[in-house]
Amino acid sequence: MKIRFALRRLLALVRKRRLDGELDGEILAHIEMAELDAIASGLSREEARRVARRGFGGIQQMKEDHRDQRSVRWVENLWRDVRYGMASLARDPGFTTVTIGLLALGIGANTAMFSIVNAVLLKPLPFPEPERMVRVWETPAASQRNPTTTLTFLDWKRQGDVFEALAAEESFKAAVATDGDPVRLSGKMVSADYFNVFHVQAQIGRTFVPGEDQPGAALVVVLSHSLWQRQFGGDPGILKRDLLLDGQPHRIIGVLPKGSFDRHEARVWKPLIFAPDQMNRGQHWLHVVGRLRPGVSIEQAQAKMRALRASLAGVIAQKDWGFTVDPFARLLVGDTLRRSIYLAFASVLLVLLIACANVANLVLAKGATRRKEMALRTALGAGRGRLIAQLFTESLVLCLLGGIAGIAVAYLLLHAATPLVAASLPFTADLSLDLSVLGFAAVAVMTVLILTGLLPSLQTSFGKLSGSLNQAARGSSGSSAAVRRTIVIGEVAASVVLICGAALLFKSLAKLQQVDAGVRIDHVITMSADLPSAAYPAPETAIAFYEAVVERLRSLPGVEQASVSIGLPLEGVRWGEFITLPGVKDELLVRVKMVDPWYFPTLQIPVESGRGIEVRDRTGAPPVMVINQEVARHLSSAFGMSNPVGRAVGIYLPGYGPIPESPVSPRIVGVIRNERTSGLHAPIEPVIYVPLAQFPRQDINLVVRTRSDPQAAVSGIREAVRQVDAHLPLGDVRTMEQVKKHSMLWATEPTWVAGAFAGVAALLAALGLYGVLAHAVTQQRREIGIRMAVGARPGDVVSHTLRDALSMLLVGLVLGLGGAFALTRVLKSLLFQVSALDPAALAVACFLMTLVGLLSALIPASCAARVDPMTVLRDEG
Amino acid sequence: MSEQKTDVPYGTLDLLILKTLDTMGPMHGYRIARRIEQVAENLVRLNQGSIYPALIRLEEQGWIRTQWGISETKRKVKFYSLTRAGAKQLSVAVANWERATALVARFLEAES
Repeated sequence: MKIRFALRRLLALVRKRRLDGELDGEILAHIEMAELDAIASGLSREEARRVARRGFGGIQQMKEDHRDQRSVRWVENLWRDVRYGMASLARDPGFTTVTIGLLALGIGANTAMFSIVNAVLLKPLPFPEPERMVRVWETPAASQRNPTTTLTFLDWKRQGDVFEALAAEESFKAAVATDGDPVRLSGKMVSADYFNVFHVQAQIGRTFVPGEDQPGAALVVVLSHSLWQRQFGGDPGILKRDLLLDGQPHRIIGVLPKGSFDRHEARVWKPLIFAPDQMNRGQHWLHVVGRLRPGVSIEQAQAKMRALRASLAGVIAQKDWGFTVDPFARLLVGDTLRRSIYLAFASVLLVLLIACANVANLVLAKGATRRKEMALRTALGAGRGRLIAQLFTESLVLCLLGGIAGIAVAYLLLHAATPLVAASLPFTADLSLDLSVLGFAAVAVMTVLILTGLLPSLQTSFGKLSGSLNQAARGSSGSSAAVRRTIVIGEVAASVVLICGAALLFKSLAKLQQVDAGVRIDHVITMSADLPSAAYPAPETAIAFYEAVVERLRSLPGVEQASVSIGLPLEGVRWGEFITLPGVKDELLVRVKMVDPWYFPTLQIPVESGRGIEVRDRTGAPPVMVINQEVARHLSSAFGMSNPVGRAVGIYLPGYGPIPESPVSPRIVGVIRNERTSGLHAPIEPVIYVPLAQFPRQDINLVVRTRSDPQAAVSGIREAVRQVDAHLPLGDVRTMEQVKKHSMLWATEPTWVAGAFAGVAALLAALGLYGVLAHAVTQQRREIGIRMAVGARPGDVVSHTLRDALSMLLVGLVLGLGGAFALTRVLKSLLFQVSALDPAALAVACFLMTLVGLLSALIPASCAARVDPMTVLRDEG
Repeated sequence: MSEQKTDVPYGTLDLLILKTLDTMGPMHGYRIARRIEQVAENLVRLNQGSIYPALIRLEEQGWIRTQWGISETKRKVKFYSLTRAGAKQLSVAVANWERATALVARFLEAES
């Protein structure tokens, strides 16, 4: 009935005009009938009209009354409630601050998290018609994606009916001379069509035009907006300047607009020009992006590519490899990232729910102390609808203030978190508080309002108010207490779910950290460099550089060992090739590392049999290779080769610079212990090591083992390299510890996020538990006093309160464990060697929750123990 | 029009309307007003218009409901009738009224 009442008022407001019309009709009918009656009693028409009017009274006055009854009061009431709510909140600043703080944190964290979800998963890519953007791959198996070869790429590019634009890309790093030391800049070499794929136009100047990626074209570059700002101070005359890349002047033809490409790893783009040597189908090196023609679906493109693949059957050596077309967005967001984001979002939603529960609890507790006020207002004639409206308006004011503060919190969180998480997010993700994020915040506020406002206001005003005037001072309200206890149990259960998840992730992280990397990572510092082709045109020059640098590094004080290699442990091996054995049909896919003679000693990788790479393995000497135990195992199991040392195998290996792969037959000279090549969680890969002096490359890593703090050796190392080549910038200065940490980021980031949320959840649940117990102790002071008067000791009172806490905790734990059993399965793909139901982790989670809960119960328990029976009994008279 | 007429006692108009609808069944505003005047035998002065805000109030409380009908003058008017909640409210109001008058009567007797 109350709701209908309120609804009618609301409707009346909307239908004011119609209701006014109806009333006019009624008045007219009324006066007509009165006239007729008066005429029937013998009055003249004139007199009858006068009598009827007088009998009715003041029409205007009556209309005002009518309207007042109908609607105006509703608006007035709302305004009064808002003012009253503000005043009531101002009277209780402690309650108001805590509540708004809880809401601001909950809503803020959720809004910030949602902006990540929105940027990474929901928003379309920040390019026109992103659904037409694709990546094109070769597929060794259905689930694998492999770069393609130059000639195959050119075949794809001829499919003009499928692709509006198709471009290959290849990363490069180049030295850029600035005022001081040369710095290393990341860039991309791209086909001239590249920016047509993204539909991005230059802000200044132009992007590449057709033909600029053909041999003999002038050297040109396009800059990112941020590089133009930072390096050139936003110089408007930038197009007249050159950029020196590795000492070669490149004409700057354009600057990209501000936005997505500023988050890209690359800062400069230059045309990818294929050298004659690269025109082959052996070297799989090109990553390909494309834009489909309008109206061409991914499926149609797939079908076209399958047909093309069939027509190329004669020229592609990898018989069972296919072609495929993927939506561009898919590869930007990997499965692990997607799962981590969902996980973090779900956790933060649970935290918000717990914060809401706490606020609802606070409002209920406040409501219990206000029963007297409510009862008084009822006695003075306030309808229950009015009371509910008043309480609800107070909640509304709270939630709105909490929401506004929450948006401020979200802004601060995003500001603080963006630099930390940007590296893990795709470059297209723009973290900002845009309209949809603000919309989410509004929805969150509404939900919070319903969760925290509706229940307590109904509870407070529908409780038995009649008795409250007499009892409110003393008795506890049974139903309210039960609701509050249920809410606390729910909070505990939700926290247990989060803590279980976090405990599993932490155990998994600990397992991951225990994995033996196969190399000694302490006291090792690494750097990278790229030898520019202009300064190092021939393999001999590069080899001379390696030897000179190692020579100098090893003579540095504090340096124990130094080496040059292609690639570092744990970071993946770029080269993959098949090795063949004479007379055997099967091939074995192995990873290939090029290392100098000191790589194994520097990282302390032991040689198990035969020998490692030695100085004598240089140009002109017979080609050799060292294999890891995993290759030896494969050779023994699949090829029946029990002692591989001394055997020769066939393999394609890349030449120096643009020289393509060519077949060689190195002899196996030794077997070394496995090192972890692709991260601690990844299975051991078969790896072969060939001498860097026989297969030199330009993209090198320096690995230096020091006697003391490796960071302290950096300046010495830089100086030593400068003595060999003053123009070569060193990049990626990291200790092996840092490399290891970086390789584990996929696991550490979600773990710490989940851990932080679980901690916050546990604290909030403990706070809720504390609130209920403290309230109960206050309400039961008289009972406690009597019990102590008849002989209960303080210890009994304390244990009574703790038992109370424990009973709520236990119910919460059981429910929470049930939830954890149902939910931890979603963690499976993030867990390493830990079952999603690992009993030890779940037990630790339960223990922690119980501990936090009991600690929070100790305060009210000790309050209860301090109750002085004499005071209490005298107070209550 | 006698000079001894008084206003309808404060707060009793609602009771009078409910009782009228209870005894007479559904009727429109003018008939309700006339009925109250007739029963009161010109003892009270009723501004007939004042029953309309009262009717709205009673309808909002859910004690009476309205239906559209045709008046004797062939106009579309609202017919008001008592709801079940209204009937209950009437008995409560009657009981309250009787208690109040009995109390006042007893005091007056005691005084004399």
